[in-house]
Amino acid sequence: MSRLCSRPFDEEWITGYLDGELTQGEAQRVRVHLEDCDRCRGLLDELTRVREATMTTSFPTPADDQWDERPRGWASRLSRNLGWIVLGLALFAMLVVAGWEVLTAPFGRVEQLVAVAIGVALLSLLLSVLIDRLRTRATDRYRRVKK
Amino acid sequence: MVVRARRGEAAAREELAQQIRLPAFRLALQLLGNREDAMDVAQDSMLRFFSNLDRFDTRRPILPWLFSIVHNRARDLQRRRRRRPGDYGSGQLEATEIRLTASGVDPEAALSRRQLQRQVWKGLAMLSDDHRRVLVLRDYQDLSYNEIAEVLELPRGTVMSRLHRARRELGRHLLGECGPAGAENPSAGGES
Repeated sequence: MSRLCSRPFDEEWITGYLDGELTQGEAQRVRVHLEDCDRCRGLLDELTRVREATMTTSFPTPADDQWDERPRGWASRLSRNLGWIVLGLALFAMLVVAGWEVLTAPFGRVEQLVAVAIGVALLSLLLSVLIDRLRTRATDRYRRVKK
Repeated sequence: MVVRARRGEAAAREELAQQIRLPAFRLALQLLGNREDAMDVAQDSMLRFFSNLDRFDTRRPILPWLFSIVHNRARDLQRRRRRRPGDYGSGQLEATEIRLTASGVDPEAALSRRQLQRQVWKGLAMLSDDHRRVLVLRDYQDLSYNEIAEVLELPRGTVMSRLHRARRELGRHLLGECGPAGAENPSAGGES
């Protein structure tokens, strides 16, 4: 039959004991308790294994050039984002103007319809791709895998 | 070196920057679970570190002070994003290049270790921000309880208490994922 704690004992001390962060007196008290308590000995084993498992992980080291390429502050980030927004708006405006030109140019009715159909088809395809990308963005585990 | 860097010596500042940028990045990554955010936070922290270098007490170790800055920047970012529990490293698990510290070449052992690391990473994601911070500073950054208390501005006893709960929670996750079915400790969380 396993022996359990016979008196109140703060189990957080086992973590302090494992890390060598207790005073001599506290550590001695934990040692004495562990001799009598199977459950707390099991807990010490479990915490030791968890700590070892945690420590097996190492993390990536960015290359030197990555540091230099990164924006240095909010100003550079803002200007970069602003640049993309302005570029996107300009491209959209270009598309609108091109569509208007096609509609108002002296083409026949059939040619205009064909041009509009092609434009609508291209726009639908692009929209479909965009929607799919947005939908899968949150859950796609492989989107950052380098090809 | 810090003294020379404070005097404005470019070589000393460069050398200091080389020394601290990797710890800054790694802590940010461990706190945020996202490589892009970690890089931004590390860069911002470096700027703040050097702009406040005059206020640093040169008799004290650098890393706890640097980690305080990184921790505050990471927390600010989390608040700005209004992150919810579970957002840690969302969608980034496979992308983060967790690399093995093992020197062995046995592919099965390597695979097993990789799986274990993945479980640890997932377990970290399940912890609350408060618990994760303490665990990361202790087990990855090897800070003492007093240094963690200083970085997080907490009483030392709270550090030990949170670390204990964090490890127990992580242990339950690892047992549930990696261990035998039903191996979970029924007395978890209580005091003996």
